[in-house]
Amino acid sequence: MGIGKARIKKHMSRIILYVLVVLIVVWTLAPFAWLFVSGLFPYKELISDRTTSWFPENPTFKNFQAMFDMSSHIGQRFMYSLRNSFIISGSVTIICLIFGTLAAYALARLKFPFKNNIVMSLISIRMIPTVALVIPFFVIIRTFDYYLIQANSNFHFYDTKINLIILYVTFILGFVIWIMRGFFLTIPTELEEAARIDGCTRTQALIKIVLPLSAPGLVATGIFTFLLAWDEFVLALVFTKTTNSITIPVFISALGSQYIHAFDQIAASGFVASLPPIVLALIFQKFLIKGLTAGSTKG
Amino acid sequence: MSIRRQELSSKQLALILLLPSILIILCVVIGPLIFAFYLSFFKAEPIIGGISTKFIGFSNYIHYFLKDPLFWSSVRVTSYFTVVSLVIELILGISIALVLNKSFIGRSFVRSIILLPWALPTVVNARMWEWIYAGSSFGALNGLMKVLHIFPADYDKVWLGFDVPLQNIPLIGNFMEWVGASTALNMIILADTWKVTPLVTLLVLAALQTFPDSLYEAAGIDGASSWHQFWNITLPLLRPVLLVVLVLRTMELFRVFDIIYILMQYSIRVVGVYTFETGMKFLNFGRGSALSFLVGLFILGISLIYVKLLYSEEV
Repeated sequence: MGIGKARIKKHMSRIILYVLVVLIVVWTLAPFAWLFVSGLFPYKELISDRTTSWFPENPTFKNFQAMFDMSSHIGQRFMYSLRNSFIISGSVTIICLIFGTLAAYALARLKFPFKNNIVMSLISIRMIPTVALVIPFFVIIRTFDYYLIQANSNFHFYDTKINLIILYVTFILGFVIWIMRGFFLTIPTELEEAARIDGCTRTQALIKIVLPLSAPGLVATGIFTFLLAWDEFVLALVFTKTTNSITIPVFISALGSQYIHAFDQIAASGFVASLPPIVLALIFQKFLIKGLTAGSTKG
Repeated sequence: MSIRRQELSSKQLALILLLPSILIILCVVIGPLIFAFYLSFFKAEPIIGGISTKFIGFSNYIHYFLKDPLFWSSVRVTSYFTVVSLVIELILGISIALVLNKSFIGRSFVRSIILLPWALPTVVNARMWEWIYAGSSFGALNGLMKVLHIFPADYDKVWLGFDVPLQNIPLIGNFMEWVGASTALNMIILADTWKVTPLVTLLVLAALQTFPDSLYEAAGIDGASSWHQFWNITLPLLRPVLLVVLVLRTMELFRVFDIIYILMQYSIRVVGVYTFETGMKFLNFGRGSALSFLVGLFILGISLIYVKLLYSEEV
């Protein structure tokens, strides 16, 4: 009798567990799935009563195709902003990884004065909200551009990719140094010391021993950097205007207006724009989770 | 002698490795920050070729503390956003982590897809929820409410509206109105929570996996209920990771801008939106800088707590 009760209890708890798991999966996937399904609706069906129409009667890829159609205004803007986002996020990732790794190595391994102060200020800098930096950036860049135009220069900062790359590098660099430092601290120093006894210089030990060992860290940090740059909105909103430099977030935020719902365009372009970060995150999941823990908990 | 040379080269190497990063950060972060601090003592407006400045001392700061009701209402609404989001994120994040820590079929699959909301760009997240919340019969949430018979068939709620929930209950209603907790704000909290909870879940899950099973086995033999086990074993062990999450998330929530600006423009003035409006819409650079500085100081304060925690708890 008692055993039977225990078994029922065990079965019940299994059932509850699976119900909870299903709820978690639905909660996680449903909104994004709805975004994708919305992209398959023709516009007329999209703007109809939801109690009956959850799936398109005439599913179409037209909304997605329109985004890649260079002959239309919207397609052109989308393609250019996709290109700009790739160029900017890619460059920022490479620059941050190079400079950040070097600095992180120095902070993790070498002894020198003010080390702790530098580490502390890096954390604080990482926390400064970009909204707080927008105003000084704006004034400085406006002034620079004014003098550049006065000097008949072809180059100016406003509405260029280079400008965004510089600004992004600065607010992401501190973050990269912080996470990479965490990774370097997890690599035992004995390996390096052994290499140095065998006659390697510090730089050789860094290149031959430490970097290969921290490859997972580099991958994770690189993806973080890419995601942060891909996601950034405030600075891009202020400093971009034309297809020369608009990024994906600015493009998507500007779709539609007070008078027109552009949810067909939003669904299609939003889905496409989230693919690169989602694919990266899912492929390199294991590294990312390691990086998340190393970056936020390792002192 | 050789030790001394070693020391010297270590310092030099550090200098070479750190110099590029320090230069970049000095020029492009510290420089503008000092400039913003300088601007905050001026009445600064744009003119051709730069800005016109007029020294006015602490007037900008005094304005916010004494004369500007919008400043205090923005502090209230930001605090509400931060606290409510934090509570939901923590409860939801820990609960999901506890479920995913159990063994079940398809666990690794569920654990991977949990990352999806976190990887979604903020702007896409904002516009996706805008579409779900659409305040007419084609909004998905309204449709869902009708299918579940929570709403009558002819009723459509404006989810991103300014009405205040619980308004008719005395005290609670007054409080909600006082902090500016409109339906729109609460729905934005839900949308933001959906995106960020996976981060909390993953951090908690990573910590849970380091706990030895023997702890729970001992408690199980002692006949402790699962609630007791959670309260007396799991939660104390989670303390370090929860503290980190708490401080990190407080900082990020307090500086929220993107999702609120995209969904509501300037109509829900959290501190970030208010700063942006003052500086970039009304081009009042001096006042905007003063406001950025107040926000920056507050966040710096929290980040100092964070640093202290890291050094006392983890090492």
